[in-house]
Amino acid sequence: MSTNSAAEHPRVVAVRRAWSLGWIFASPSLLFGAFVLVPLIALAIRGWQDGQVMERLLSPFVLHALRLSVVTSTLTLVLALVFGVPAAYLLARGRFRGRQLLTILVELPMVLPPTVAGVALLVAFGRRGAIGAALVEMGIEVSFTTTAVILAQLFVSAPFLVRSLQAGFEAIDPTYEQVSATLGVSELRTFLRVTLPLARPALLSGAVLCWTRALSELGATLIFAGNFEGRTQTMPLAIITAFESSAGLSGAIAISLVLLVVASILLVVARLAQRRSRGSS
Amino acid sequence: MIGVDIQKRLHAFTLDVQFDAQHETVVLFGRSGSGKSRTLAGVAGLMRPDSGRVVVGSRTVFDSTRRIDVPPQQRNLGYLFQQVALFPHLTTEENIAYALTGLDASARRRRVRELAELLRIEELGARYPGEMSGGQQQRVALARALARPVDGLLLDEPFSALDEALRADLRAELVRLRQDIDVPIVCVTHDLREAHLLADRIAVLEAGRVLQFAERTGVFHHPASRQVAQLTGVANVFAAHGLGGRRVEIEGAAFEVPQAVAEGVPVDVCIRAERCLLRRTDVNDDLPPNCFVADIASELAFGNAYTLHLQAVGPGPGVEVDVASRPYDVLGVATRRRWVVELPVNDLHVMPR
Repeated sequence: MSTNSAAEHPRVVAVRRAWSLGWIFASPSLLFGAFVLVPLIALAIRGWQDGQVMERLLSPFVLHALRLSVVTSTLTLVLALVFGVPAAYLLARGRFRGRQLLTILVELPMVLPPTVAGVALLVAFGRRGAIGAALVEMGIEVSFTTTAVILAQLFVSAPFLVRSLQAGFEAIDPTYEQVSATLGVSELRTFLRVTLPLARPALLSGAVLCWTRALSELGATLIFAGNFEGRTQTMPLAIITAFESSAGLSGAIAISLVLLVVASILLVVARLAQRRSRGSS
Repeated sequence: MIGVDIQKRLHAFTLDVQFDAQHETVVLFGRSGSGKSRTLAGVAGLMRPDSGRVVVGSRTVFDSTRRIDVPPQQRNLGYLFQQVALFPHLTTEENIAYALTGLDASARRRRVRELAELLRIEELGARYPGEMSGGQQQRVALARALARPVDGLLLDEPFSALDEALRADLRAELVRLRQDIDVPIVCVTHDLREAHLLADRIAVLEAGRVLQFAERTGVFHHPASRQVAQLTGVANVFAAHGLGGRRVEIEGAAFEVPQAVAEGVPVDVCIRAERCLLRRTDVNDDLPPNCFVADIASELAFGNAYTLHLQAVGPGPGVEVDVASRPYDVLGVATRRRWVVELPVNDLHVMPR
């Protein structure tokens, strides 16, 4: 797009100026790019050289972890949407006392070390925790189960969705909602037909952030849900387990490659989806 | 009809507005920040007045004493926003059909086609707002506002975002549409020409108050006060006092006016710049009534007309005079500096001070 418009308006001076700045900024940018890319490329090459990648990937140990990761992170995203979309809308449009405080509160899990989140969750939902004890009496065990994995992921990753979506809602001109009201359309219907569709780019990027954060969740899960194969051992935990086992680095590399590929695909899909929604609006 | 009597405390002033619109177009005219748009929002239910009453058709939609506050969804008013605000993610057809929730698909299509025809936007059906010009967007927005049966139409600076040619076009369109839309229209504008073109009656607003609410010609030719005269573009407003009978004194010169003013009573007298006449000084030496000698102090050329500022030689006021380009040439205004200015009796208007 930018190259097209530059071709349509050939303003030589502006182009040259942009380049002079480009050269100054190029060296740190290139260095940083190399810093990010080199380890990833090394990971890919090393995985290729080891040769046993497919074999390792198809082992029950990895397949269990992969399935658990996909299932839990997806459920986390669904829960984050169910609770996060209304919350984000209220934070963006609501007029009530403590709105600022709530906005800060929502961001707290994002800056908190995940291990702290895990400890906090354990204290609340553990067998002897405030809520956990009551749940145990009802026959529901939370800590060290798959449920705990999802709760840990939700706690850590949902704020990414809420924050992105809140910013998205705030960026929408309230006139659209007023127009809808004068056209006799109810507020709920307005939200579903106007506000939410207009916030779609923010919704998409928030959802992708939330999902990838859930997928990579480690610290909170380890403390609150433990590391049990097939039950709470997600991919990041499997990497640690493999790393510490006899397979060592080679085992960790194979699983890391899977996560790398999944994350890359997600990123590309999200970008494409965003571009399309921008094109239509 | 639409009946409005609302009060609302705002930051800069207190809004206190009364007017009504029968089967006619009422223009709320005033400078930006005079409270006209807020008034419209109050009628539509987008702003809640502190007190007062709003009636739409036969329904009271707001009444502070009876605790009635009908939500905007149920006020049955079409509202055209200054920002146009077409839904950017919907096509023209979807925008127009947006409000038609109760109809089945075929009835909805028919209604959309009707409106597209009425506003001459048939070819825009599949386009998104981003792919249309400002004028086209405003037409679509008007179609959208008219899609449901409404008891009134509210227009908030509907043409202000458009360039002059398009504005003229759409104003003419609205005048044409007036015959098809048989509901009261309340239109907010700060544009004098627009107000004059569209209005049956005009409410002149300033700092949240209605200074004058009257027939269009009444407001333009018989402003209620100096303030209204200035707001409606009357260039010449003079401080004067009565001489008894139908005579007043302005800057030491006596002028005849259409109505009697008691002796010594201070009044304001006004005359529009285009109603002042220029005569050659050499016509005769004895000045006719309501005439005085003046020199051209400055001159502005607008192509189709000239605005002259003249200063009296001896007693008489300074006046602004508009002369169309043809009389300007015929009289040879450019060739001489000194003129006789006549303020015709019937074009002078006396206002209380």
